[in-house]
Amino acid sequence: MNTIAEHIADFLKEYPPFNHLTFEELSEIAISIRVVNLEKHKILFQINDLLHDSFYVVASGVINLSVIADAEETLLNKCNEGDIFGLRPFFAKNNYMMTAKAREESIVYAIPIATFRPFVANNSEVLNFLLESFAVNTRNPKDKENLIGKLISDNVFYSDQQSEMQYFQSLSYNTSPLKTTVTAIAKDVAQLMTESLKNNIVVCDNNIPLGIITDTDMRSKIATGRYPVTVSVDKIMSSPVITVVENVSLAEAQLLMLKHNVTHLCVTQDGTDKSDVKGIISEHDLIVAQANNPGVLIKEIKRCQSPKELKQIRERLTDLIQTSISKNIPLSHIFNIASEINLAIIKRSVELSILDLGSPPARFAWLSIGSQGRKEQLLLTDQDSILIFEDVAAEKYREVKDYFLRLGKRTTATLEKIGYELCPNGHMGSNMLWCKSLTDWTKQYDSWMNTPGENSNDLSSIFFDYEITFGEQKIEDAIGNVVFKNAKNNTLFFDFLGNDALRKNSPLTFFKNFIVEEEGPNKDKFDIKTRALMPLIDGSRLFILNFDIRGINNTFQRFKQLAITDPKHAEIYLNCGEAFLILSKFRTLEGLKNDNSGQFINLNELSKIDREKLKNALAPMRELEELIKSKFQLTQFS
Amino acid sequence: MLDWLKNINKEYPEFWKTYVSKFDKKSTRFVVLSTETSGLNPNKDVILSIGSFAVTNDSIAIGDSFEAVLLQYKFFHDNGLSNEFLVESKMKKLGESDAIKSFIEFIGNSILVGHHIDFDVEMINAALERLDCGRLKNEALDVDVMHRKLNDINDKQFSLDELCTAYNIPKSDRNSSAEDAYKTALLFLKLKSRLGIK
Repeated sequence: MNTIAEHIADFLKEYPPFNHLTFEELSEIAISIRVVNLEKHKILFQINDLLHDSFYVVASGVINLSVIADAEETLLNKCNEGDIFGLRPFFAKNNYMMTAKAREESIVYAIPIATFRPFVANNSEVLNFLLESFAVNTRNPKDKENLIGKLISDNVFYSDQQSEMQYFQSLSYNTSPLKTTVTAIAKDVAQLMTESLKNNIVVCDNNIPLGIITDTDMRSKIATGRYPVTVSVDKIMSSPVITVVENVSLAEAQLLMLKHNVTHLCVTQDGTDKSDVKGIISEHDLIVAQANNPGVLIKEIKRCQSPKELKQIRERLTDLIQTSISKNIPLSHIFNIASEINLAIIKRSVELSILDLGSPPARFAWLSIGSQGRKEQLLLTDQDSILIFEDVAAEKYREVKDYFLRLGKRTTATLEKIGYELCPNGHMGSNMLWCKSLTDWTKQYDSWMNTPGENSNDLSSIFFDYEITFGEQKIEDAIGNVVFKNAKNNTLFFDFLGNDALRKNSPLTFFKNFIVEEEGPNKDKFDIKTRALMPLIDGSRLFILNFDIRGINNTFQRFKQLAITDPKHAEIYLNCGEAFLILSKFRTLEGLKNDNSGQFINLNELSKIDREKLKNALAPMRELEELIKSKFQLTQFS
Repeated sequence: MLDWLKNINKEYPEFWKTYVSKFDKKSTRFVVLSTETSGLNPNKDVILSIGSFAVTNDSIAIGDSFEAVLLQYKFFHDNGLSNEFLVESKMKKLGESDAIKSFIEFIGNSILVGHHIDFDVEMINAALERLDCGRLKNEALDVDVMHRKLNDINDKQFSLDELCTAYNIPKSDRNSSAEDAYKTALLFLKLKSRLGIK
């Protein structure tokens, strides 16, 4: 006899799917329920979290279900009283695909899957409801009305970057199409097409397109005997042609072809059929363009057998980044795509090494650190990585470490061949120092964080931006635990990091002019990496460690998250985030232009407007510095 | 004054010894409890019902609960009252000694939480004394004190209803110690997260 369990059963029986169960069954379920209180903005689970052992019913309050892409939350659904969510553990084994966050202070009932499963199995109505809830895709809010009951989708395939990319992705097409005149004879034209291996020819009058002849026309009008082979082409051409402007996007071209049911589009100067022909887009071009999208690249990476193949893909990524930037795709978006591809390349490199060396003698994790760890690597910058392997028996240690060193060397060599330079400071998994067992790494982080400043020569803050590339997730988690455990109330450590963040030279002189390099090969250039980007990166890392926020490695997303966690200073954080994107864009453009890491900006090549823009992006940094100074009361190391 | 001397060689009941031995370890389990009593004097009045829930990992475990109505035959007889309403209730009915014994087993070394918990603890202690046991050894937290600490109020006490209103906890028309314990548990969860108690 449990009074409250009965109250809960009373509550549940009002809502589907519980209304299909009897009161006794519900009371039995209610006994095993846990009641959870969620503060406002508290996250119950988020994307990629391990599945919980229960699903949830909102008892009071509102829970928002959202997916996060590029640090932008996209709201999928709001769950009100009586709504169920978090059904994923019923049907799938992989991690959560959405984030559940309390929009206001809420109370939810956690119903253990193990308890509920028998009722699902024995009751087809309940099963159906759960299946529908899980499978339905309420991405489109207009669909909501059509739903029976209240279904909360749990299986969102967010229209990810790939499909969105299509709107920006430009096409490359045949810019020197075959041309002929209206008076030409079909037979000659067919001969010409056959010789030049084309399936189309544009019929022009003074370069103005009048019509087009394709294989289809030849088949349907000549081969059927309707016209003799000696007919003039104006009798058999398809006219008018469908014309488009230059720079048409993939998606648009697809639409036009479908709309007009044609296989070719004619590109003209102003997009009408009254101007000069510039080229022909065929269906084949669309297929080729689709092959250059990120998803396909990643698939190809997985099949690559040699560094050379990977290098080619990395070059295609550079093209992709370049077109994306010129098409004004949000940089945060590009960061995501590029980092996924970079990740896949590094992963494949490790795999290739393993294929050569044989399977590893112990579990391990290959972590990318620095910019790739932060998922901010657009250009071919140097590679930073560490390797952590699980603890092994003392007598085997030597042998195991030896294996992993060889693995590290091979992988870094592969990556070097692909185009990622070796790290000049040797921060790589092939280095004796950074290829260690978990215990050694734990000690390493302990000593870095508890006695910063002593032996600090080898402490680089990039070790606090890490992202698993290959191997055991558990090992990364273990390191994460060490870091955040040590960070807690560790004034000395924050003092050190804070000073480290502030030590970077300021970007502007007293008179608000750029401080440029005074000597060396980059004389008179502006060091955007050290003077502008690093302070923001360091600042965001400092705060993220301080606020104990885990799992967010990207600087832009860190700032966004900080604005949520520390709303008092939200404005500063958001400004810094924006500034970071602008500065990154400058750097990337410079890097693409010169095929290097873009660290040094040649100010003379910038337009006046761009220079002002750059200068403005440096402003939020000051506020961040002030915030760091006041928050951490820097003393010990200054 | 010299009470502890009297107790020094006293033989306690078995369940009490088990209870005491549980305190070797520190607990992360909270037990939210509420009692219904016949009055406010620990020496004269008795507990009529107990409702309590365990709170672990920031959530209330509905199954991990204890509810009982105490059949206080002697008390009702001595005071010439009718206990029919108790006998008629559907709740699990226990005699005082059985109820206290099971309750002590239920709480173990958990941290107790309640609204004006001192009084509940006193009432339980009085009942324990009748069973020749010692006093409760559990740490105890008071949601009213937590609320006042959170808001820096020193000069005022709050009733459970006032607290529920302040924290938006729906009031129910049904009144029982289990109901009160559940509301207190919700209050506790909210206060706990606001005060950052781990």
